[in-house]
Amino acid sequence: MGKYSQDPQWADITPLPTDEGGPNPLAAIAYSDEYAETMSYLRAVMAADEKSERVLALTEDLIDMNPAHYTVWLYRAECLFAVGGATEQERQKSLRQELEWLNDTALDHQKNYQIWHHRMLVVDKLGSVEGEQEFVEQMFDKDAKNYHVWSYRQWMVRRFDLWEKGELEFTEGLIGRDVRNNSAWNHRWFVVNGREGSEGVKDKGVRTREVEFAMQAIGRAPGNQCGWNYLRGVARKGGMGLGELKVFVGQFAGLEGGEVRSSHALDLMAEILAEEEGGREEAGRALDMLKEKYDPIRRNYWEYRKVMLGLPAAGAAA
Amino acid sequence: MSLVAGPGRGGTGSGQLPDELGLVVQKHVAYIQSLDTRRDELESHLTEHLRISGIYWGLTALHLLGQPAALPPEEVIEFVLSCLHDNGGFGAAPGHDAHMLYTVSAVQILAMVDDFVELEMRVPNGKMKIARYIADLQQPNGTFAGDEWGETDTRFLYGALNALSLLNLLPPQRKDEPPLINVTAATDHVKACQNFDGGFGVAPGAESHAGQIFTCLGALSITGELDSFLGEEGKDRLGAWLSERQLDDSGGFNGRPMKLVDVCYAWWVGSSLAMIGKMDWIDKKKLTEFILRCQDPEEGGIADRPGDMVDVFHTHFAIAGLSLIGYPGVMLVDPA
Repeated sequence: MGKYSQDPQWADITPLPTDEGGPNPLAAIAYSDEYAETMSYLRAVMAADEKSERVLALTEDLIDMNPAHYTVWLYRAECLFAVGGATEQERQKSLRQELEWLNDTALDHQKNYQIWHHRMLVVDKLGSVEGEQEFVEQMFDKDAKNYHVWSYRQWMVRRFDLWEKGELEFTEGLIGRDVRNNSAWNHRWFVVNGREGSEGVKDKGVRTREVEFAMQAIGRAPGNQCGWNYLRGVARKGGMGLGELKVFVGQFAGLEGGEVRSSHALDLMAEILAEEEGGREEAGRALDMLKEKYDPIRRNYWEYRKVMLGLPAAGAAA
Repeated sequence: MSLVAGPGRGGTGSGQLPDELGLVVQKHVAYIQSLDTRRDELESHLTEHLRISGIYWGLTALHLLGQPAALPPEEVIEFVLSCLHDNGGFGAAPGHDAHMLYTVSAVQILAMVDDFVELEMRVPNGKMKIARYIADLQQPNGTFAGDEWGETDTRFLYGALNALSLLNLLPPQRKDEPPLINVTAATDHVKACQNFDGGFGVAPGAESHAGQIFTCLGALSITGELDSFLGEEGKDRLGAWLSERQLDDSGGFNGRPMKLVDVCYAWWVGSSLAMIGKMDWIDKKKLTEFILRCQDPEEGGIADRPGDMVDVFHTHFAIAGLSLIGYPGVMLVDPA
């Protein structure tokens, strides 16, 4: 006998056991008893379209057992919005309670994405972002590159117009903690450039600020591709000539016997030189260094770059 | 098809180098077959929401290994059709709600097994019914939702185009009929997902991710806009980003900068490079060695990385990755 079949509160429900099994072995699915019983009550209430407090409790039970079952989440959301309370105050209270419960569930199941979609529905209905930034930051303490959580963060910024409410400082904090966190770099790009109608790095002041930010980060970790990608992106979108970066890049990609501190710098230097008048040969030398010493796993790529400059490919007569 | 992990781990067992060992084809076939008999394990019900996709992964791997009948085709069709809803969508297993992802898996399986013959026999106008379910999930901005709740994602968009193309019901495939979907709006949305680093994310603004790049390139490839949208410069930039995913120490790929390697990116990165014609920019030998190190040479199955538990998802994507590289004995696959 199970939890639900013995509970007088559920005596009016005839559970609907699964009809899976039958003659078809591929479709036969063996459940643990507890899960099977709970699912059979869910099927029964769904068939009767019951939306009630006890169904909320039932879905909570199921989600605890298996948070990836999308049908359960969908039905829970329907229920929640149907029974949320008679007054606005009651509705707000029930949505807040839902978020509190979701906090624990999200922290326990970090790879699950249904949780975040559900959270979006609830917070959207609530119409308030209060407490959300703090919660997301708690999630990032556990995994600062969680793709679902970052998607949620971007949704929040758009939905509640948070563009100028501490987002830039937030990315600065995360990048300060881990300069190699590409997700945080991407979010910075989004905050600076993603707002509809904003100039982003096409605005000269913004561009200067972002170039300086990237350069500082590169100074801290020259081998980190995130900073270099960002710098290139800003230069390109901001309409900067790459040549303006030459002095800076040169510090990390000393060509004439200087120290090479970053293959990314060498890569960018090759691009800068290639744009210069008479710089092709030197660019080719940078590409050779990448091919032979600093990034040999991509030797064919570096070779391709040389060919694009009209330089002889490896094996060809010099 | 159970999606339980294990029992084996990648890279354990024999002391042989992967080079000498090669791909243990027969063991992988036996491993996939064995999943069918492991439905009693606790983990099996927890992965039920993926079941139909699990069958797709297992079946595709078997096709690539040249043994398509290793799972009985009648049983496969029977199971898939038992997941079909009246609205034309498929759930992950009988009794689960219809969802885009599982509808795509179902279409892929039915195309592979008997080219929809059984479907059309049992469900009048079945192909069109499925196509309408998919088309109805398109949103005014061109994206596709996964279900009636409206969550959108470039995975769903690619899946929709992929399935409609297999059903032969994309607008260009039936020029005389009114179009079921708005292809222009869909591709415009994909284009808006391109990032400053040349990659694509799950939505406009979201971080570039090799899996999402695959879905976006696949979508553009199906609609015939890959070359015109990216151009040579775009392909070079994207190819540079993708080839940078190969890590020198292991030879495997990661999916985003500064993340761990995972054998499934052999497919996501590899097929993306193949679609833009830059497959030569990676070290295929090192990638092959990495994939072979992820297999369990004794019990079959392939793990995300050496030392972890094997599962059918990684087994499939690893074998598909080998197919892209032209590994001997593995059939060639269409990257899109």
